[in-house]
Order: sequence, then structure tokens, then C-alpha cells
Amino acid sequence: MSLPDRIDPRPPRRIYRWDLDKTYLQTDFESLRDLFRTAFQKAHEKVAVPGASALIRELAEQGDSRLCIVSGSPKQMRAVLEEKLKLDGVQWDEFVLKDNVGNLLRGRFRALRGQVGYKLPAILESRVNAPVEAEEVLFGDDAEADAFIYSLYADLIAGRVDERVLTQVLEAGGVYPDDAARVHEAWKKIPIADPVRRIFIHLDRLTPPAHFTPYGPRVVPIFNYFQAALVLLADGHLTAPQVLKIAVEMVQTAGHNIITLSNSFQDLLRRGLPLQQAAIALSQAMEGPNALLKAMRPVPDILAAFSKRLAALGTQPPPPRVQAVDYVSLISHALPRTHKGRTLKPQT
Amino acid sequence: MVGKPQHITIAFDVMGSDHGPAEVVRGAAQLSLESPHIHALLVGDRPVIDEALAGIKHNGERISVHHAGDYVGMDEKPGEALARKPESSVAVAARLVAEGEAHALVSAGNTGAGVLACKRHFQLIPGVRRAALATVYPTRGVRGAKQDPFSLILDVGATVEATAEDLVAFAVMGSAYARIISRNERPKVALLSNGVEPQKGPPRVVEAHQRLSQMAGLNFTGNVEGIDIPRGTVDVIVTDGFVGNVCLKMLEGVHDTVMELAQYAYKESLRWRAGLAMLSSGIERLKDITDWEQYGGAPILGFDRIFIKAHGRSRARAIANAGKVAAKAVANELGTAIQEGLAK
Repeated sequence: MSLPDRIDPRPPRRIYRWDLDKTYLQTDFESLRDLFRTAFQKAHEKVAVPGASALIRELAEQGDSRLCIVSGSPKQMRAVLEEKLKLDGVQWDEFVLKDNVGNLLRGRFRALRGQVGYKLPAILESRVNAPVEAEEVLFGDDAEADAFIYSLYADLIAGRVDERVLTQVLEAGGVYPDDAARVHEAWKKIPIADPVRRIFIHLDRLTPPAHFTPYGPRVVPIFNYFQAALVLLADGHLTAPQVLKIAVEMVQTAGHNIITLSNSFQDLLRRGLPLQQAAIALSQAMEGPNALLKAMRPVPDILAAFSKRLAALGTQPPPPRVQAVDYVSLISHALPRTHKGRTLKPQT
Repeated sequence: MVGKPQHITIAFDVMGSDHGPAEVVRGAAQLSLESPHIHALLVGDRPVIDEALAGIKHNGERISVHHAGDYVGMDEKPGEALARKPESSVAVAARLVAEGEAHALVSAGNTGAGVLACKRHFQLIPGVRRAALATVYPTRGVRGAKQDPFSLILDVGATVEATAEDLVAFAVMGSAYARIISRNERPKVALLSNGVEPQKGPPRVVEAHQRLSQMAGLNFTGNVEGIDIPRGTVDVIVTDGFVGNVCLKMLEGVHDTVMELAQYAYKESLRWRAGLAMLSSGIERLKDITDWEQYGGAPILGFDRIFIKAHGRSRARAIANAGKVAAKAVANELGTAIQEGLAK
């Protein structure tokens, strides 16, 4: 093949890493019955979290990003999960599933429920081949240890966590030696950079937002994907018309309305996220005829609802404080929920 | 009159409760988890609300906050306090309801300030001259589809001197409220007097009796005496604010005295203590029946908007229930029901 004939994909400028269950899919596995039902659901029976597929599609719009999915679902579910993603119009670049049968056969029972020893090496190995300058945004939920693992991943590649802390965390997290070795190996191959911009945690269990305060402002707990879209607009990953498209999909398919959306907007403002410019951009995007917006409500109503929520707050609260994350003291967040050491009390 | 909305927003005056703002915020948070069609608008000091909200389980899609930097204390004189503090949480909340930002108001704060704020911002329903403060009282009987053990007494303090016309309006308002909230299709309504005969009582009560007897659509059963209140003979008891308030305070006093006597008996003798222990399941049952927290609060009736006055000692559960009662009154168009009742 001559050089001009080769069509290599552009190196990704941005990498979006997603968990699947409770982050992209509305999944119940609280009981054995739920687990059984989830395992035998067909692709068309699976339901995506409102706005998730629209958000992924809009993030892919620029064509210079990668979508990497690392899910705790078993490998045996690959076909049905891939079919579901295709049904939703979602295209992915990496799709890693957990080898639970392998773990079972090898007697690695801790690995069945443990997340640190599974997700951390998987995303570090994925980062090894990424361009140094590629930014990352990560999406997880509050059902598992996503905030902990994603933050640790971000601080590891940024050089903010040393080997001693990492070893302590892996030991306390019950990570098997071969998985720990994979973590160390991949980590050493990654050049030091600080690419992780945001970590979104979908509050599937409605965990109080203050629970995530120890992770600093990089971690943003969200009640819905409209909130993620607003923050990504402020961060320059989405345009205002794209955010409106996501909102419209949530209105049309999931029963969201102007009240839930404006409350969601205000919720972020109250947590100190700087969204004033995003609000202005949204207002400008709504000017002029827009068939999509007619599906929601007359534009003046939308603007009024958002303006009122903004005005109702008086002065804007200060942005959340940036702080170093103490992973050793937060290790309980990374343990499976049934673990005795796990505490989920809100922290301030 | 407010129409039937698809989503109901309840404004909570966060600042007035005996247990502090966090308890009201907890109640609203609980409501946001339990009732998808109800949205909470928390009115009060924003940093205080935010701090309380961040640490508890809630649904952020169903809660918004409106900052109000001031509040009326329990011991303040309502008129003076509201004049001095136009941006107090209860005044701002009432204004927001009047402006259509919320459909109803719930406050656990100063009752007088709440009523006065409503008077300033809400309109009286056509045909109603004076608002009435209603209260629920636990009785021996149960009523309606909900097997509600409470009867409704009104007025207990909003209109001290009521005319015959006012008493008639109170009867219609109380009947509509019992029908909607207790799901009691034909609530029995009676006037409180010093005898069951129609001619008993002061002239205004006798005149009200005559007029109520002729009203279609109202299940008026005549007069009752004080003894009928705890018996639960009827579902709605109508009186003026002076008598109603005296009755209410006396009933509360009797309840407190009985509890004190039980405590005395418990300490005094081992035999009495054993007797109380044997009665413990019955006492528990009695506690369940008289648990005012499940009822949420008392309504101020007569305005075009709903105001539920929650008890000052309300905990989160009572606040959440007050929100549900308010939403139910809005959803079932209580104001329209009262107006229609008065027209008959």
C-alpha cells in the first residue's frame, strides 16, 4: 500500500470513558432475581439512562474522540450489550467486559465483586497507547467504586500519587497480585501528563453529593445527563445547540420537563460550578426559530425558568476547593458494598 | 383559582421550625424521593439550605432553592416582624406562591406570620369573608377511605369573632377539605354549641344553624357539644376562632395532664408500673392513632392558594406529609370545591 492510499484514523483529541450498568444502562442487580432478569434481558428490553445515548452521540460529533467502555458485566453478555449500543446509535472504540467465569474457575472470588483490581488495570492499559495530549472525561455511577477508581487513575497518570500509596491502596482494596502487577506495569509505561478533565458520577442510588467532596471539584455528581451536558458545555466539549438536543431527547423520551431541567441547572450552580457563560450560550442558542425546542415549550418559558432559578440564588457561591485526594483514607469507598469496612456516610 | 397542574410545586418556608432549617430540608428531601409529581421550592438562607441538602439523600431534579436572608422567629409579633422583615422566608414564600412559582405553601414557623403573609399575598375565595385556621384532632372514630382517625375543627384562631355567614363558610370549607384529604365522600358537619337543640347558643350560632340546615350538598347534622369532639361524633366541627382556640388548648392540656399522670404512676409504685407495662401494646396503638406527624399539618382555609401550617415541632416526616397534603389539596382543586360549595 502506498502512503497516500492509507487512511489512518486521526489520533484522538479526547477520550470518553464510560461504565455501562447504572451509568449508561438502567440496571437493577440489587437482588438475585434482578441479577437473573438482567442476565436474560434482550437488547431491546434494556433501557438506557435518559440522555446518555444522546450525550455520547453529541460527544462523538467532532470525529476526533474515542469512546472506551469498561463494564463490570460478564463477557458472556457482549453480544446483547453490543446490540443494545447499536440500537441506540452508539459507536465505540473499546469495549472491555469482566471475565467472571474465568475468575470463578480460578477461584478468584474477591475479583467477582471487586472493582479496583478489574477497572484500574483496564483503563491504565487503555491509556498506554493514547496520545499524551488526549484529554479525558470519565463517566461512572455511585453504585460501585467509580469515583475512587477514576480519581486514582487521574492522579496516577498525573504523577500525584506515589508508588507507596498505590501499593497500600491495592493491598487494602483486596487486589490480586497479578492485577496489581498489571497496574504497576501499565502505569510505568504512561508518560506523566494531566489529561483527566472531569469525572461524572451518575447518582443512580441518589447518594448525597457531599459524599464525593473528598475527591475535589474534578468529580461532579450528577442527577441526570443534562447536568453533565451543561458542565461539558462550560468545559468546551459541547456546543449550546448540542446541549439543547440532549435536553430535548430527555423531554421527549423520559418525561423530563422544564421544571426538572431548570432545577438540575440550579443544583449545579448551588454547588459552585461556573455555568453563567454556559447559560448565556444556551439563551443565544434558543434565539430564532428552532423546531426542536418547540417540542419542549415556548422558548420564553424556558429562558424564564432558567433565569428565575439563577436569580433566586442571590450571589453565586464560591467554586469548590481543589484538594489532594487521600486515597488511603478513602479506600472504604472502593470496597464492595457488602464489605464490612465500607462506609457510605456523607463526608464534608 | 389555581387550575389542576400536572406537576405540583410546594414552597417550604425553611427557616421557622423549632428544630431548625435542616429538619425542613430533610422533609422536603424525603418528599423529593417519595413523590415524583411533587417539586419542592425551599425558601430560606441559601448557604444553610445547600449545606443541609448536600449531606442527605434527595433528588436534585425535584428541588430548587430561593434565597431569603431573613426570617420571623416564633416569639416575634407577626405584624411588626413582617413589616420589619419584608424579605423574611415566610413572606417571600407566600409571594412566590402568589406569583405562580409554587402552588402551595408549607410553613412550620410562626403561625400568625404565616396567616398574615397569606392575607397580604393571597386572595380570599369569592363568598369567603374570613379565612379559617383548621386543626385535626384524634378521635375514637375513623372516617373516610383512609380510615382517618382525625376530625377537623375550624376555626381555631384565625377569625376570633365570626358571624353566622362566616360560620357557614367555615362549614363549607371544612366539608370540602375533609372530602378531599380524608377521602370522606359525605363528611358529617356540625356546629359547636352548648346543647344539641337548634335554638341553643348565641344568636350567630342559631342563625348559622338555620342557614346550614337549608344548604344542599352539605351533610349538616346539627349541633354538637364539647364532649363530642374527642368522641368523634362528627367529622367537621365548626366554631369561631375564640372558642375553637380555647377548646384546642384545653384538649392539648388534658392530653399533657394524662401523660404526666401516667409518668407519675410509673414512678410511684411497682404495681402501677406493672399495670402500665401490661397496657403497653394498647398505649402504642393509641400513640399510632394520635400521631399528628402522619397528618402533616393544619390548613388555612379560605384563600385562593393553599397554606398548610405544620406544627412547630415537626420532624422531617411531618414536613414531608404536610407537603403531600398540600399537593393533594392542589391536585383536587380545593379552592374550586369550596367555591362550588358556597354557591349551592
